[in-house]
Amino acid sequence: MQQTHTEETQFPNTPKRNPSSKKQKKPVKDVDNKMGYLFLSPFIFGTIAFMLFPMMYSLYLSFTDFNLVGSPQWAGLANYKEMFTNDPVFWESMRVTFFYAGTAVPFRLIFALLIALVLNRVVEMVGIYRTLLYLPSIVGGSIGVSIMWRQLFGNDGAINSMLESIGLSGHSWLGDPNTAIWTLVILYGWQFGSSMIIFLAGLRNIPGIYYEAAEVDGGTPLQKFFRITLPMLTPVILFNVIMQVIHGFMAFTPAFIITEGGPVNSTLLYVLYMYRQAFQFFDMGYASALAWVMLLIIGIFTAIIFKSSDYWVHYDG
Amino acid sequence: MKKVWLLMCAALMIVFIAACAGSGTGGGQEAGSDSGSSGGSSEGGGSDEGSSDGEIELRMSWWGSQARHDMTEEIITMYEEENPNVTINTEFSGFDGYFERMAAQASGGNLPDIMQQNFGEYVNQYAGEGLLADLGPYIEDGTINLEGVEDTVVESGQVDGTQVGIPTGTNAMMVAYNPEAFEGTDVEMPSNDWTWQEYMDITSGISEATGQYGVSYTEPDNFFEYYLRENGKAMFNEDGTGLGYEDDQLLADYFSMMKQQIDNEVSPDYSVVDQIQGLEDELITRGETSIHIKNWSNQFQTLQNTTDTPLEIAMMPGENNDQGMFQKPSMLWSIGENSEHKEQAADFINFYTNTVEVFEVIGGDRGVPIKPDVREALRESGLTEAQEKIFDYLDVVAENSSAPDTNFPASASEVLQALKDTDEMVMYGEMTPQEGAEHFRQEAESILSEQ
Repeated sequence: MQQTHTEETQFPNTPKRNPSSKKQKKPVKDVDNKMGYLFLSPFIFGTIAFMLFPMMYSLYLSFTDFNLVGSPQWAGLANYKEMFTNDPVFWESMRVTFFYAGTAVPFRLIFALLIALVLNRVVEMVGIYRTLLYLPSIVGGSIGVSIMWRQLFGNDGAINSMLESIGLSGHSWLGDPNTAIWTLVILYGWQFGSSMIIFLAGLRNIPGIYYEAAEVDGGTPLQKFFRITLPMLTPVILFNVIMQVIHGFMAFTPAFIITEGGPVNSTLLYVLYMYRQAFQFFDMGYASALAWVMLLIIGIFTAIIFKSSDYWVHYDG
Repeated sequence: MKKVWLLMCAALMIVFIAACAGSGTGGGQEAGSDSGSSGGSSEGGGSDEGSSDGEIELRMSWWGSQARHDMTEEIITMYEEENPNVTINTEFSGFDGYFERMAAQASGGNLPDIMQQNFGEYVNQYAGEGLLADLGPYIEDGTINLEGVEDTVVESGQVDGTQVGIPTGTNAMMVAYNPEAFEGTDVEMPSNDWTWQEYMDITSGISEATGQYGVSYTEPDNFFEYYLRENGKAMFNEDGTGLGYEDDQLLADYFSMMKQQIDNEVSPDYSVVDQIQGLEDELITRGETSIHIKNWSNQFQTLQNTTDTPLEIAMMPGENNDQGMFQKPSMLWSIGENSEHKEQAADFINFYTNTVEVFEVIGGDRGVPIKPDVREALRESGLTEAQEKIFDYLDVVAENSSAPDTNFPASASEVLQALKDTDEMVMYGEMTPQEGAEHFRQEAESILSEQ
């Protein structure tokens, strides 16, 4: 994301490369247009066939009753009405998802920022550390890690073995409705790599003169962090928060593999519930309606975060 | 966002496949290509044009493990050798994804000629949409020979009086137990006529005697259905619009019984149950319980293979267990209504049902053969000890059972999920059995009224 952003902004400023092109505004020939569209066509086709059309189709399905086997039956707002008035599991999954996003996202971001701060100081072999710390994110989304997580926190798993070896009693982490969700939160936090790399890039961009000035004025490390580092980092924080909130709401694999939504639906993330409706109960209409409600929620959250950025993000410097 | 896209792409794929089917090149196996190799039998991408010179191409689909795929391919090769003018193209996958793909083909009017169907709400849904051929005429004219098959077994392939499937074999719920654990104790072993009281006494008795669990925890979806049948009721009412029992006390009693088992540590609780990963990991396999009530009889062999000591099978508990027990079709063979070669497809089903060699290849993987003469021939040619126990058990069940319920509504799986969720809440102590029973009725009625 950042990469392309900088490229775009730099391109017009590239020296000596047709400096007058902006002003000329020659009428563009049709043939150029056609060539342009031709080159774009794979993308345009892909977008229409694999994004726009399925989206619109799912919007249509959300107003129907569709079990995959027959043909969709128009149902008006019945799916939405059902969801909001007559489906306690929907609200349960909503609650779980908000709790998950509300704890896992800050957890990951704080963790990522701390690691980035540490790495920013390391000088020797920084490449190796960065790679090592980034690894969990590369493998993190995979099924394999989820299975490993299930083993780690299982009744006979590594965590309990360690606890027992130091004399503490084990706990059924995945079997206890109060702790199961936390194992997923920890997994999300552990995959902090991509946020960390972005934070690290942001930290590297803060000019050293501010810190020098602070040192001359006798600023403590804590003051330096809160008065310089954090404000200067806010654009990067904004980007990370938005990306991670979206990710958090869309989490599926861990709940699907590690806990299957249980115990007592305590880890029934929203997307897992959607999956159940679609592919276990074959209620495609309802699942589509669920998908659109989620889209709306994520949209609203993103908008709120963007709006609020006026008050806490500093673009100066 | 990825998951949303995934769902949307699934929706798109359905439309695409539907569109492909509309163009008339129905044959081949466009949707099967993702399921890996399809053995030597497929002539890939075949179209119907080849049928002019008496060549017939059939499409056949099933779900299952790799072992089942290999064995089924072998059976198909046997059939093709006997019928050189027939080629069978195959499509197979695991259970996950199978019905998504069948649904896509159904919406395109392109179901396979021979299709492995699932008993219960699945086959009901397909039959309800008129997607499956009526096999009644083929049974009448002898194309499919079902002579000697018990009526309840034949009827289990009917939906609303139409024969839409032929059972691939039969299963029954079972109690598996380890006789060695009972040696030297004064606890009686489970028998075919044990009552619920004896069930409680024996499980807690053996638990005390061995210091381990007495019985595995039995999840409610099958067990409560059995419990209802044993009490003369059913899970769903006749037209599938509501629950098949009026008195919530039934479920409350059931919950109390199961909760008592957990509280007394006769059964493990959900935190243990949820972490069992497949048959190889079962408590009885690991020697942590002496009685195991969870699986169907076709899984006994695997259970036995992974357990060191010989296991035995008994019927489910209850005074009226002959009323509760039923022979369930493991799966069904169905023919797509859109098939152009129904006669030939029926002939294959007949071959599968009546050929001893077929079952010598497939064993008990699709249940115990429904034809008595096939069972007899297999016994004579020699069965493994575990297989013999399964055959003997199914013979007992055949004598002491009633027809399976077939009135599963389309949303049955959602209702059963609600039952399982409620069961968890009760077992975790978040609800009393009484509250749980009322809660489940509310949930179930809300789900069933949606349709």
